[in-house]
Amino acid sequence: MRSLKKSPWILHYDASSCNGCDIETLACLTPIFDVERLGIINIGDPKQADIFLVTGAVNEQSKVVIRNLYRQLPEPKVVVAVGACAASGGIFRECYNISGGVDIVVPVDVYVPGCAARPEAIIDGVVKGLAVMEEKQTILAAAHGSIDKTLYARAEKPDAASIHALRKVAGQMEAVLHGDDTFPILQQSLEELQQEFDRKFFFKAVLNGKIIGSISGCLNGEVVHVDGLAVHPYFQNTGVAGRLLGELEEGFRGVKRFETFVGHKNERLIQQLAKLGWQNFKTEVFTPKITWIYLRKERT
Amino acid sequence: MNPWLRLILYLVAAPVAGGLLAGWDRRVSARMQSRRGPPILQPFYDVLKLWQKQNLAVCPSQNYYVLFFLLLVIFTGALFFAGSDLLLVIFALTTASIFFVLGAYKASSPFSFIGAERELIQMMAYEPMVLLTAIGMYMATKTFYVHEIAGHGGMLVLALPGVFLGFVFMLEIKFRKSPFDLSSSHHAHQELVRGITTEFSGRALAMIEVAHWYESVFLLGWVWLFFASSPVLGVVMALVVYGFVVLVDNVFARLKWQTALASAWAVTAVLGFGNIIVLSLQR
Repeated sequence: MRSLKKSPWILHYDASSCNGCDIETLACLTPIFDVERLGIINIGDPKQADIFLVTGAVNEQSKVVIRNLYRQLPEPKVVVAVGACAASGGIFRECYNISGGVDIVVPVDVYVPGCAARPEAIIDGVVKGLAVMEEKQTILAAAHGSIDKTLYARAEKPDAASIHALRKVAGQMEAVLHGDDTFPILQQSLEELQQEFDRKFFFKAVLNGKIIGSISGCLNGEVVHVDGLAVHPYFQNTGVAGRLLGELEEGFRGVKRFETFVGHKNERLIQQLAKLGWQNFKTEVFTPKITWIYLRKERT
Repeated sequence: MNPWLRLILYLVAAPVAGGLLAGWDRRVSARMQSRRGPPILQPFYDVLKLWQKQNLAVCPSQNYYVLFFLLLVIFTGALFFAGSDLLLVIFALTTASIFFVLGAYKASSPFSFIGAERELIQMMAYEPMVLLTAIGMYMATKTFYVHEIAGHGGMLVLALPGVFLGFVFMLEIKFRKSPFDLSSSHHAHQELVRGITTEFSGRALAMIEVAHWYESVFLLGWVWLFFASSPVLGVVMALVVYGFVVLVDNVFARLKWQTALASAWAVTAVLGFGNIIVLSLQR
């Protein structure tokens, strides 16, 4: 775990900075400050970075980029907001094009003050970020160790926001898998999800107070239609999906028949469902890239 | 020394030596730029960290290609240090590089695509010189077997000065150092992000790093072969060549691929081929 602190690789992104903080950040690489002596490298690749260092306030155009880059950093990761603008929008806060600081888009772990932030302060901020990263690593490791302590329960309307966020994360993986962004789970708004709570039953998997998986089912005559199965990417292949399905079946006691559909490229889930006794009964083309595989399970 | 002993020594010591060399490279490069530079053990910290990171793969199979790249690089060096046939060593090395390129092609990123294409161009550039080195060594010693070449008795570099210089030129390409760091630079924020390694992270990237350590030790072992009759001088010269490669890396800017390819083939034709013609005339 110590090596984590000895080789932080940084991804530097300029959200809409005046370049003051950018120049100071790059000054850290120069012979005077030489951050490489601490093992710090300014790396251009989000997939290889540990620390996401953002300068400048966020505008409409940089919002998407920040979100994308943040998603591409592997865990454990740390976000450092450098300068007054990155912290709150700074003197540009009232501008028509500025939305605010970095924390309106992604969670920020360390704020470095200053206009422009001094190189010493930036290095301090990064070093502080290392402690946060170590803590995250500990939590992640503990979460993986305590997966059998996950609670499974009925979800109610107040959970809608968490489930909505979870579905977005899980839906992203589906969209990447199928190469199609029009996945229904991604298109749904929070209001639509909240309305679903009136006619469907929701179940959730909770670990350390956070929802890591959810599923919903709706009784239509003799059949329960199951949809919205979402498990957080960290916890996929840990048996959460199987347990959620089990909870759902328990919840609809007396019903004989369950039906659901899955994107055709999600072979892992299809295999898992087949093991749990689900059988394919039809396929339907949804978009040129997505074909729904319909599965059903009869209970005796 | 018993070939099995050499083999085991290689498998255990090569990653340590390769890692230290990489650390020394970064340190010396920093000093050349009047910086303090990271600790010598930095590459080990980097690899240990990468090993703990979340594994992100666009396509799960890309990491298998990297695993085979690592295994084949280790296999290449193992053949070499066990004293096997040089031609077999070269074919194993080429196969390893091809797996690396296939891994980069697997992820649908334009950066890793162009990186993979440039890696193929680099292979095209150095491959003839590597073959000529093996042929030159055969003409001087009448054998392709590494252990027989090492026990040949004569100083090979005296018979093969052109081939040696050509081989050193080729090392610049093989180590992906400036002016030939086309496919993937050691330093980030270049025009290809990280080139061929862009889409690799976590354990896959750690495996690539370890493969590079094995590869450097194997290539420096080949430099040693030129001075095999005096083992200590051989080790010194291998280190000198490595230092030279680092110096050139810090002095030159990157070349365009056309220039890189043309210059590599020109060097191969003049130094490598010229040397071999002289050798065949002497007989």
